[in-house]
Amino acid sequence: MARAVDVPASSLRQRPWVRLAAPLLLAVVLAVLPLVLPESTNETLARIGVFAVAVLGLNVVMGYTGQVSLGQIFFLGLGAYITGYGVQQDWNIVLVFLLACLGAAAAGLLVALAAARLGGLAIAMVTIALPIVGVPLAKRLSDYTGGSQGLSARFADAPEATGLYDDQWQLYVVLVIGGTVFLLTRSLVRGKFGRAFAIVKGNEAVAASMGISPYRYKVLAFTIASLIGGVSGFLYMFVIQYTSPETMSFGHSIELLAAMVIGGAGSIVGSLLGGAYYVLVPELTNQVDSSLTALLQGVVLLAVLFVLPGGLASLFRRLGRSRRRLRAEPGPGASPTTPLSTAGSATATEEPGKERQGHA
Amino acid sequence: MGTFVQLVVDGLSAGSVYAAIALAIVLVHSATGLINFAQGGMAVLSVYIAWWLTTRGVPLIVALLVSIVFSIAFGALVERYLMRRFERGDPDTAVVVTIGLLTLITGVAGWLWTYNNQQFPSLFSLDTVSFLGVSVSQRSLGTTAVIIVVMVALQGLFIGTKLGLALRAVANNPESAAFSGLPVGRLLMVGWGLAAALGAVAGALVAPQLTLTPGMLDNALVYALAAVILGGLTSPVGVVVAAWLIGVLENLAAVYVPFIGYDLKVAVPFILIFLVLLVRPQGLFGRKTVVRV
Repeated sequence: MARAVDVPASSLRQRPWVRLAAPLLLAVVLAVLPLVLPESTNETLARIGVFAVAVLGLNVVMGYTGQVSLGQIFFLGLGAYITGYGVQQDWNIVLVFLLACLGAAAAGLLVALAAARLGGLAIAMVTIALPIVGVPLAKRLSDYTGGSQGLSARFADAPEATGLYDDQWQLYVVLVIGGTVFLLTRSLVRGKFGRAFAIVKGNEAVAASMGISPYRYKVLAFTIASLIGGVSGFLYMFVIQYTSPETMSFGHSIELLAAMVIGGAGSIVGSLLGGAYYVLVPELTNQVDSSLTALLQGVVLLAVLFVLPGGLASLFRRLGRSRRRLRAEPGPGASPTTPLSTAGSATATEEPGKERQGHA
Repeated sequence: MGTFVQLVVDGLSAGSVYAAIALAIVLVHSATGLINFAQGGMAVLSVYIAWWLTTRGVPLIVALLVSIVFSIAFGALVERYLMRRFERGDPDTAVVVTIGLLTLITGVAGWLWTYNNQQFPSLFSLDTVSFLGVSVSQRSLGTTAVIIVVMVALQGLFIGTKLGLALRAVANNPESAAFSGLPVGRLLMVGWGLAAALGAVAGALVAPQLTLTPGMLDNALVYALAAVILGGLTSPVGVVVAAWLIGVLENLAAVYVPFIGYDLKVAVPFILIFLVLLVRPQGLFGRKTVVRV
């Protein structure tokens, strides 16, 4: 599990200077890109960032801990509503951010405390209620949510001092907050908690016999997922500046789940790909024929489950493996710069990744 | 008093529809160990077929029968060509497959017949009948009656026939069933077909009231899942009782609890679940399962 993201690493990436330089290079590219890209691209990228964070949250509970959640969109909606309300009341923006995170996390904790008591698929059966109850609830609490009209809040104007355009400022904020969430989550799933999540996903009875309470870790994973959902809700309000009950509809919840599976369950890169899928594919299918959107989404989801159970993220892994195999065929003499031991360890790290694909 | 009785009867009628879908879910779960989130979607597809036939001038009852036959075939095909691959694997993946199927069916229905509401003719008239001084609608009584008849027939099938015995054997232990010469694969297809037919009946009964849309049974699915959790996955009787309880309680809460009202009554089963789970995690009637490591 911990090495899952390292699996596509070729021997090049294992050299120390590459390991240091690559993140730096990435950071520089990300810092420069918003300045040079056209406005519409910046806006699309910001939206991808928002949903990548939402998919990442879903991945924590579903991809890494193996608990199907159909309610992640509810926490995005909750975070967005808290943000919108806070901004309308002119609260401090940092306070609003914290409230959006903590409010979503508290709601998630409450749901998980009850849902995780049931084994197996009960979390899926309970969380399906979140979007379905959430929409009428948002309409009902119209004093806070603006009812069916929705809630808009404009707080994403670039500060004068930065000299940036609004779209650039938005993308920078999404990159910083989203990037931080991604890095923190990456550490989480690679560390002690990640291993506990993996064993709960693999076999609850074994986890319990090893002193890892499946109940406690399921609740923890669900709460963290809700917290990340709250963050994505804040970013959603920051970028899209408007939310309505429709934001957390059942259909969107399923689309988010589909995006996660298609991007790659249990994969950090997969979450990014999932966010891109969530934003870009409906735009594409809308251009073809808007009445076909749901149909195509279903077809793509089923096709991915049949052909590529590990999602798009595993495609890179697969390509990398076949490339290595091709390179290995002429014999070790063909690539003298690669020490045999490195090649051996690279294949060894593949095994856990290979095994995980079956789970999705 | 009149309102109260009317609410209870309407609640029982709605609860019967949830019960039918919940039973279909239990049927599939006991045979293949997975939860079919597309159970409602498959039912909607069959109701669309019936509706399409009626617009072509086919009498309602014939259209319904054709749609039920279609459902059986469709359920069997879905089991054979879609779910079979995932049955032995990870249940989470199988659940995602059923969600994909739900998306696909909704998409197909929306594409073929648009997302607009369609009027579906009712089997029963909307008139009310007076009974002991209170008037209740014929549709509610009829819906409840049909579902009860279907349930009794199903129970008869499972207990009184050879096919039912074979189905129970496969659900209980597929490997032993295969060793004693039962065609497990074909029986699983029959199980899925029966479940789909059950859903189709429920869908046709509730369609006039909800009006036909691709997402018509999304809410009913949520109620059915709630009934499954409350009743316990292992107990068909418990599931039916739970579904009726949910149907009646949500109707009463909608009228007598001002905050809930009609728009939020979908929250009622989940408040109920929340309370029940804190006390009995295995559901009202379910058994605790023990896993051998």
